[in-house]
Amino acid sequence: MAVSTTVSQRKHIKRKAPRGFLKRVFKRQKPHLRLETSGDLLMHLNCLLFVQRLAEESRTNACENKCGVIKREHVLAAAKRQRLLLTGISM
Amino acid sequence: MADSGNPDSEPTTRTLLRRVLDTADPRTPRRPRNARAGGFWVPGPEGKGLQAKISDESSTLHPLVPPPCIIQSCWSLHSAQRALLETPSSRRLSSQTKMTARRRSQRTKSIGKLAHVQASGHLEEQTPRTLLKNILLTAPESSIVMPESVVKPVPAPQVVQPPRRESSRGRYTVNSLPGLGCWPALVREPLGDPKSQNWASWPLHPCSLELQLPELEPPTTLAPGLLAPGKRKQRLRLSVFQQAMDQELPLSQEPHGNADASSLTSSLNLTFATPLQPQSVQRPGLARRPPTHRAVDVGAFLQDLRDTSLALAPPDTVLEDTQPFSQPLVGQSPSVHHSLPCPSHSGAEDAERAVSHRTRSSGPRLQNNSPGKPAQLLAGRAEEVDALAMSFSHSSSSIFGEVAVEPLQDGVGEEAEERMEESLSMSKVKEAARAQGSARAEEPEGHTQVTEAEGSQGAIETKEPEGSSGDVDTSGRTVSPELAASTLEFLQAKQLQCLEPAPPPSTAVLPLEPLSARLPPRARTPGPKPRQGPYKTRLSHYAKLFSFYAKMPMERKALEMVEKCLDKYFQHLCDDLEVFAAHAGRKTVRPEDLELLMRRQGLVTDQLSLHVLVERHLPLEYRQLLIPCAFSGNSVFPAQ
Repeated sequence: MAVSTTVSQRKHIKRKAPRGFLKRVFKRQKPHLRLETSGDLLMHLNCLLFVQRLAEESRTNACENKCGVIKREHVLAAAKRQRLLLTGISM
Repeated sequence: MADSGNPDSEPTTRTLLRRVLDTADPRTPRRPRNARAGGFWVPGPEGKGLQAKISDESSTLHPLVPPPCIIQSCWSLHSAQRALLETPSSRRLSSQTKMTARRRSQRTKSIGKLAHVQASGHLEEQTPRTLLKNILLTAPESSIVMPESVVKPVPAPQVVQPPRRESSRGRYTVNSLPGLGCWPALVREPLGDPKSQNWASWPLHPCSLELQLPELEPPTTLAPGLLAPGKRKQRLRLSVFQQAMDQELPLSQEPHGNADASSLTSSLNLTFATPLQPQSVQRPGLARRPPTHRAVDVGAFLQDLRDTSLALAPPDTVLEDTQPFSQPLVGQSPSVHHSLPCPSHSGAEDAERAVSHRTRSSGPRLQNNSPGKPAQLLAGRAEEVDALAMSFSHSSSSIFGEVAVEPLQDGVGEEAEERMEESLSMSKVKEAARAQGSARAEEPEGHTQVTEAEGSQGAIETKEPEGSSGDVDTSGRTVSPELAASTLEFLQAKQLQCLEPAPPPSTAVLPLEPLSARLPPRARTPGPKPRQGPYKTRLSHYAKLFSFYAKMPMERKALEMVEKCLDKYFQHLCDDLEVFAAHAGRKTVRPEDLELLMRRQGLVTDQLSLHVLVERHLPLEYRQLLIPCAFSGNSVFPAQ
């Protein structure tokens, strides 16, 4: 028997993926495209990993500057590096 | 029973067992577990039969056989209990059964048992049951506390889910413990710690042990009669124990435990149902979070729109009434940002480009519209609209197209298309629009309409008929809801309306264009709520994750910067996915495209597969949906 695609009501998933939001974002950006069911979960995974890398990088930047707080410059620098390193087609 | 151990004389255990046996007696349905018992078990009167068996067993001193018989009897006794019990481990039952059996045996024959136990010294090797049995047999009589009452509470807790510590803690612990284990732990006083520790190895919560104490207390008091004279001492200790328990109970964190204790005390009989209290009741924390509502955002957005629109002096008041609010804002935003007539043209061009399929005469018409204000307004509207009704994008644009009567609509549709594509820019435009605050009376109305439309997605359809009426006002109204769906529409409508009742939509496009162009330099307009309302909430969801992963305090500005980066990231993500899907000749983005994207990003390598990442970072439920797994019946889910 296949596992149901929906989670039973009693289950309370922590750190849920905002599937509706992701689907909506995609639709807004690319209305002529369709996104599959599991695609948004992987998108969420991608976002998580992206945020993780960004946070790690920002933290490194902040520590290098000997700041106890992450400032926007650190985040900006981290994002720039991400853009450079990422070999996305559109980037 | 893992520990097994040692039955060495743990009086408590034995007492517990006795209790179980005693309490279990009345319930024993006699189950034909004869297979195990073989000749030893003879179904006789429930309680008696077992006892008889036990006695027989003890007399026979058969090392191996008796234990199973006892066990079986116990099993049968607790069969009903078992059904109720959720205890995952059968050991508990077995322990109980053992206990009951043992109790019987003890009752019938203490000496025999001892001998029996010795003879079956190797019983321990066999199963926990045997161990329990040994314990009972070997444990000194004095340890017995309460016969039946003890048994009852024991089974009750067993019923309770072991993992649920809450209310059922007391019971639960008992359940989780193979009966005996918990008891010795519970009856700390008489037994002394070392003994309890033997059982401590059992899967019990320390507090559960404590909780169990109260359970034990009542039983002890209930079935004193069963206790042998020597056991009276235990009983006394138990009473002391109970007192100690009472003291401990308040200390225990589980309020449920108290409830359990009380319930236990109140009911001697096994109350399998009681322990199973609804988790939600016991654990309010587990209740699902209520869904967040966005109504507030809309309201705030409306307010913002009103404010901005009111600030502006609407030249075309009449038209504006019907026009969507976006228009005035649109006009403002462009003016604020660029204040150049040219931008409108470029904006129109962009809009047309962006909205290839939507591009209609409305585009040029939009441009014809007064570029400055309408564009600004539209841009602003677009932003607002965008935020208001993201989902409307397609429908709204299509609707607009249909309403040919109103060039505005077409233009708006284009704008909507544009806006849809530039979600980010939209917000910026809106902000600009707001800043400009075109004083279009219609804007506020439009906003309201838009917001209302947002609230009801079905508004689009209603709007359409309105638009078809061909009335500027109507179109404006229809546009407004549609605009809500797509900022583009708003921009166009605004522009059109701003100019004249039937201004060429082309002009509207122009102003829209500049708006779109201005989107990036988002002006800090007070209100891009619709766009940001639901969108921002989710973005901030990721921003919070950022702060969690960073493990360092962050500035507010840094969080905003993170949100901006995420915006851009989403854009890039969608673009990439589009390219990949197109490369595969598909119009649907599949998980394979996502995997390819992650591979390109270096997240997925030959050493690290996508499944590993899924397992690591996603919750279990999503993992089930993503990774194909084989199930019984030769089925694989999800289907490949």
